[in-house]
Amino acid sequence: MKNKLILFWLIMALVAGSIFVLYKKPASLGLDLVGGSRLMLEAQTSDSVPKITPEIMDSLQYAIENRVNALGVGETVVQKVGTKRLLIEIPNITDTAKAKEFIGQTAQLEFKRPKPMPDGSIEWESTGLTGKDLKKSLVGSAPVTGEWIVELEFNLEGAQKFSDLTKELTGKQMAIFFNNQLQSAPRVNEQITGGKAQITGDYTYENAKEMVDLLNAGALPVGAEVIQEESVGPTLGADSINKSKVAGIVGIALVMIFMIIYYRVLGLISCFALAIYAIINFAIYKIVPVTLTLTGIAGFILSIGMAIDANILIFERTKEELKMGRSLYTAINSGFERAFTSIFDSNVSTIMTCLILYHFGASMVKGFALTLTIGVCLSMFSAITVTKNFMHLIFGTSELKYPQLFGLKKEDIENAYVATETKREKAKFGVLD
Amino acid sequence: MANTNLIKDKYKLDIIKYRYFWLAFTGILLIPCIAAIIYLAVTQPNHAPLKLGIDFTGGTILQYSVDKKITTDDISKIRTSLEKTGIKNPVIQTTMTSSNKDAEVKNLVSIRTIFLGEDKDKTAQITDAISKDYQGAELVQVNSVGPTLGSELLKNTLIALILAFILMVIYISFRFQVEYGWIALYTLVQGSIFLIGIFAIRGIFFDTTVDSLFITAVLTVIGYSINDTIVVFDRIRENMRFLAKKYSSNEIINASINQTLPRSINTSLTTLFTLMALYLFGGSTIKDFVLAIIIGVIVGTYSSIFVAGTVLSIVKEKLAKKNA
Repeated sequence: MKNKLILFWLIMALVAGSIFVLYKKPASLGLDLVGGSRLMLEAQTSDSVPKITPEIMDSLQYAIENRVNALGVGETVVQKVGTKRLLIEIPNITDTAKAKEFIGQTAQLEFKRPKPMPDGSIEWESTGLTGKDLKKSLVGSAPVTGEWIVELEFNLEGAQKFSDLTKELTGKQMAIFFNNQLQSAPRVNEQITGGKAQITGDYTYENAKEMVDLLNAGALPVGAEVIQEESVGPTLGADSINKSKVAGIVGIALVMIFMIIYYRVLGLISCFALAIYAIINFAIYKIVPVTLTLTGIAGFILSIGMAIDANILIFERTKEELKMGRSLYTAINSGFERAFTSIFDSNVSTIMTCLILYHFGASMVKGFALTLTIGVCLSMFSAITVTKNFMHLIFGTSELKYPQLFGLKKEDIENAYVATETKREKAKFGVLD
Repeated sequence: MANTNLIKDKYKLDIIKYRYFWLAFTGILLIPCIAAIIYLAVTQPNHAPLKLGIDFTGGTILQYSVDKKITTDDISKIRTSLEKTGIKNPVIQTTMTSSNKDAEVKNLVSIRTIFLGEDKDKTAQITDAISKDYQGAELVQVNSVGPTLGSELLKNTLIALILAFILMVIYISFRFQVEYGWIALYTLVQGSIFLIGIFAIRGIFFDTTVDSLFITAVLTVIGYSINDTIVVFDRIRENMRFLAKKYSSNEIINASINQTLPRSINTSLTTLFTLMALYLFGGSTIKDFVLAIIIGVIVGTYSSIFVAGTVLSIVKEKLAKKNA
């Protein structure tokens, strides 16, 4: 009993902590629910890219999508507009200016070769080896000096180009430009065939990290400029959302009433357990943080459905055990034990599905998978720990005097045979006669 | 502890006795769904099994500037008048320009709808509808936008789903038995076909389009069905472990379905309460989404009661004959 009280207070402490988080941290809601910023990006032609082709727009869209996702706000929208524009919608985030800067950065990496001019100076000339040829990049540190460097790994084609270029430039200088700024111009000592290169340039860790993030998100194939910026209202329509909120509350109230009518005291316990579940759940959303959209909320509703299901499974099982004449304490315990395998198996299947969807799915699907995973993990905790703890604290080891409290009839219990002590023991170990 | 007195338990539903009836009944329900899916896939130029909305096809964004601040009620009003002119499921958003800090802030309404292209009439109709409610409304910008969900993303999601299914079959085969895994997959696929089929039928007859939320709805339904099916299977597994010597597998399956019946019904009821409230009182923009999940929950519960167990009993019988 003492352990159960400690557990109870631990749960309460967790709830208090969650309420604190809910109170302190702002909610992060998606475009469909609160709106956000809408940016119009226009691809810019340049000497190297004189014409914007549909292929270029495709890769621009892809790069921008990656980049917007790297911001970690989740559930963004990137659409093509006409022939050379992109429409980007980002949900309400605190720092739109920073997002704009990050998205707009061209992140063009170029390797250039020296071209002697008639007046004796040197100009740099494009070689065709660019950020497009990268497989990935990493922040590293130089072996001797320990300074931060950017490590590059080329894809197959890039490695070939790099090998050809270093062969051509052996004994000469080669320049690396990032966003048209000279990063370094090392002397090429020999042909490099491994498909790997480094950029050194007095970077701080933050500098190097930003450059790597930009390169990994995919360099923009062309320059792009934000030509329009607006704030937009929710896509689902503010009118619709207000109605749905009310409807959601009505729905939850109906569920609670049903649970209490059907399962009586148990139903009441589950209502408290579910309230705790919801509070902790939303606190986790804020900590992660999860940008909540309607899709994410669908994941939450499904997980709350599963949490209720776990409670129903346990209650039905406990009632069955009571009908078979077990004592209240044993019935509660074996009700949990019996219900556990199905809760476990269904939750593991759900979590597995979610992990895969999260890994491969579109950003919208990711949001769903994330909230569902959090919800399902938590529902195991809610059903197994919280509901059980409450049941034990309320009923203790007392006898079942009022079967009505469980929504059972008196006859149900009286007709049941009284389990002997040995049978009870056997039940505990799952042995049957 | 498993109930050892199965025979004494009166079956509320003798499902196994009528298992071929239930299978045939389910099959008959599936026919129009499959027909509608095939019909749309063949007749539509993009070969999609559903009528696709602007999330998939792209569309047109019209922006109007109006001279007063737009409230929530205004959005409802605009939605109603647009739907009267035959614009289905428009996405209506208020926007404010903030690109130029010196200029005064303009109130704009942005309306996203199907691709209008050169269709000047439709544009004019929308403009009329807006001007009726707002004197001096002015069309300031028209843009054609591409899909928010590119085919690439859609393909990735589909691949993810297939991978997830494979893993699930492996897990269930491992925790239960191989045939359980395949039957779970079968009920899932069948449930998805029902859901997609019903929306395909609605597409054919009422021109209902699906948006990206539909994908979420399908995922939700799949999640729900897995849960439902496993609960029933778990009970069968448990009873098989304890009672296989005393009773035939058909008796055990029948009893297990009946034992889980109160749970199956109560769980779907609680879910349906919330969903029905959302459907009846919620906003119009999420109605189709909620409806999809409602259909899915009903189908999922139906399959866990009438399909999963019946198919299992038939497979078990076939396996037993083969081994005999």
